[in-house]
Amino acid sequence: MASGNFLQQYEKGEVRTAWIFIAPLLLIVGVFVLLPVLGTFYTSLFLDVSYLPEQFVGLRNYIDLLSSPDFWQALRFTLAYTVAAVTLEAFFGVMFALLLNEAFPGRGLLRVVILIPWAIPTIVSARTWQLIYEYTYGVMNYLVVNSGLVSERINWMGTEFGAFWALVFADVWKTTPFVVLILLAGLQAIPEDIYQQAKVDGAGLFRRFYKITLPLLMPVLVISLIFRTIDSLRMFDLVYVLTGGGPGGSTRTLSYLGFEAFANDNFGMGSTVSVVTFIVAFAITLVYLRAGKFSEQLK
Amino acid sequence: MLYLCRNLRYHYSMKLKTLFFLSGIIFAAVLLLPGCQQQPRLTFMVGGAPNELAFFEGLLASFTADTGIEVAMIRQSTDSTQRKQGILLALRGHRPDPDVMLLDVAWIGQIAASKWLEPLESYGINRHDYFTSIIELADTYESQLIGLPLYIDGGLLYYRRDLLQKHGFAGPPQTWSELRQMAENIVPAEREQNPNFWGHVWQGAQYEGLICNALEFFTSAGGGFFNGTATPVLDQPANIEALRYMNELIHKQPISPPNTFTDMKEEEVRMHFHNGNALFERNWPYAWGLHNAADSPVQGKVGIAPLPGFVAGKSASTLGGWHIVMSKFSDKKPEAASLIKYLTSAPVQKKLSLKLGWNPGRVDVYEDKEVLAANPALKNLKQVFNNAVPRPIIPYYSNVSQILQKHVSATLANRATAEESLKKAQNEVQEMIKSYGIR
Repeated sequence: MASGNFLQQYEKGEVRTAWIFIAPLLLIVGVFVLLPVLGTFYTSLFLDVSYLPEQFVGLRNYIDLLSSPDFWQALRFTLAYTVAAVTLEAFFGVMFALLLNEAFPGRGLLRVVILIPWAIPTIVSARTWQLIYEYTYGVMNYLVVNSGLVSERINWMGTEFGAFWALVFADVWKTTPFVVLILLAGLQAIPEDIYQQAKVDGAGLFRRFYKITLPLLMPVLVISLIFRTIDSLRMFDLVYVLTGGGPGGSTRTLSYLGFEAFANDNFGMGSTVSVVTFIVAFAITLVYLRAGKFSEQLK
Repeated sequence: MLYLCRNLRYHYSMKLKTLFFLSGIIFAAVLLLPGCQQQPRLTFMVGGAPNELAFFEGLLASFTADTGIEVAMIRQSTDSTQRKQGILLALRGHRPDPDVMLLDVAWIGQIAASKWLEPLESYGINRHDYFTSIIELADTYESQLIGLPLYIDGGLLYYRRDLLQKHGFAGPPQTWSELRQMAENIVPAEREQNPNFWGHVWQGAQYEGLICNALEFFTSAGGGFFNGTATPVLDQPANIEALRYMNELIHKQPISPPNTFTDMKEEEVRMHFHNGNALFERNWPYAWGLHNAADSPVQGKVGIAPLPGFVAGKSASTLGGWHIVMSKFSDKKPEAASLIKYLTSAPVQKKLSLKLGWNPGRVDVYEDKEVLAANPALKNLKQVFNNAVPRPIIPYYSNVSQILQKHVSATLANRATAEESLKKAQNEVQEMIKSYGIR
């Protein structure tokens, strides 16, 4: 699979022109993506604190990070959060996409409306959710108290459990539209005649879904879930606004840990957290690609 | 079609080459441009609300009119963390701008320890007109004067004068147990009309404000964070007692609302008290003007006092505020010094107090009749500021704060006892100091 073979099918002049056209992009990727990644890794090998002399420490930042309970707490929280949020988003995403794929009056309007949460910047929707979860005047407490579900107001962010689901809920509300959007495109690419054929063969609604819709939707679903998973793994803004990492530091994600290190002007440790977050996201993406058998499809 | 493309390519290849060549030059120029030497200029970096920035702009204009020195203002946001990041970026990069800037008292120690600040006394700037203790604790590094307080803040107790009177109490509480006693007396009666009424609101969410509150509770119990500037003493018995008391305010016969440790920051606390939903409030001086505004529900019903202590008279107030400093990398040092002299001069400090309601860093302004007439509370505040305790002036303060935030919050959330939390915090701070290799 040498690139020479690949290039041999083209004329020399063509190859040269191709390089010229690609070069600006390669330069941009190199300068703005590759260099920072390498730079981050390089910085992670130093004791780099603004007010201390810079000092090469090898992998000590990594050892310090992996031996701190805060890291494992944050990793556990991030993974649990990702699993919960992405699962719910996949479920609701498929439901809404199927609904919006059917023809009914007002569909166009509904398709637009459902995208609104996604169009709102996270930091803004996080503020909105903060007002909803607020203890004294929040809508959530208003609802549960006035409906008689509970007699006393609930301090939603007061426990790890409550804060966890409050964050997941806000995330699902915000990003399900993204999954819906991608799945809707996927659904429309499935030819209608396959369904006609299946109907003729006597396949029922659920059978058609499991045998046709889901398999044909799978590649698109996996792509949207990869996006969502990577996004959730580096989730920061909701935590920053809604809990500030509390109560007692129990809702800190990996990104939040990195932010704390940078806020302490410990650039070495901040970079270390970034590299580890990158590795975790990378590993999980590989699992997805394997599970979705993407490498084969790409061939 | 293919033929056409080929043809086109030959035709345009010369022009394309020229185009690429030109765009390459432009690209390189754009990359190199910021590296070009700029004219030295005097710059002042400051952040804040729009009205504050407009006020500073006016000050700089009159400074230029007085001295003939041009000065440019670099605007920052109101967010303290972002302001710090912006300043650190410039100083770490040894940039000649900004020449003069404002530092929060919480991070002045870190920046001074990085040796990024120019000592001021050789420029004829002196320390005599300021609160002695504040200059000693916050603005002196290795016995050099490196900053001056442009304005200062300290934690105070706001109380409902009308309610204390109505229920037969003579004055504000001297001790924390008196505060609890008053709250337990008054709150049940007031709840009959207002179910949202609470005894004491303070900043308990997991953020820097929590540490300001904790420092006041700890110090007023005879504790504190550090012995000198090198030895953390976080798990001393006085601190444990104080933290236990903080937990009990929320959880044991609560007089503080249950969302104290999740929602309560300055503005949440202020609004709670402002809407008539609390008997006592711990806040910074800025709340005074707002509580007494014409449209305030508690206008004229509010008093201020030093915070209570665990024994009478042992009150502590966390020092806040912003200090003016000169960058070591400034390319306009003499001009920068005159700007600092101007902004800390008595007339400007007086204007600052009258126009923005800020508490001046200079002591002599607290005696000014005009200032006192506009803000009678300053007389009490002067007392508070004399007893202000700064957060530890150490380079790694933000690490200490972060560790404490996490553990103090854990106790307020009932996830750990006061003793467990402070033991852990003490260990983590010691570990951190060791790993940084600080003696």
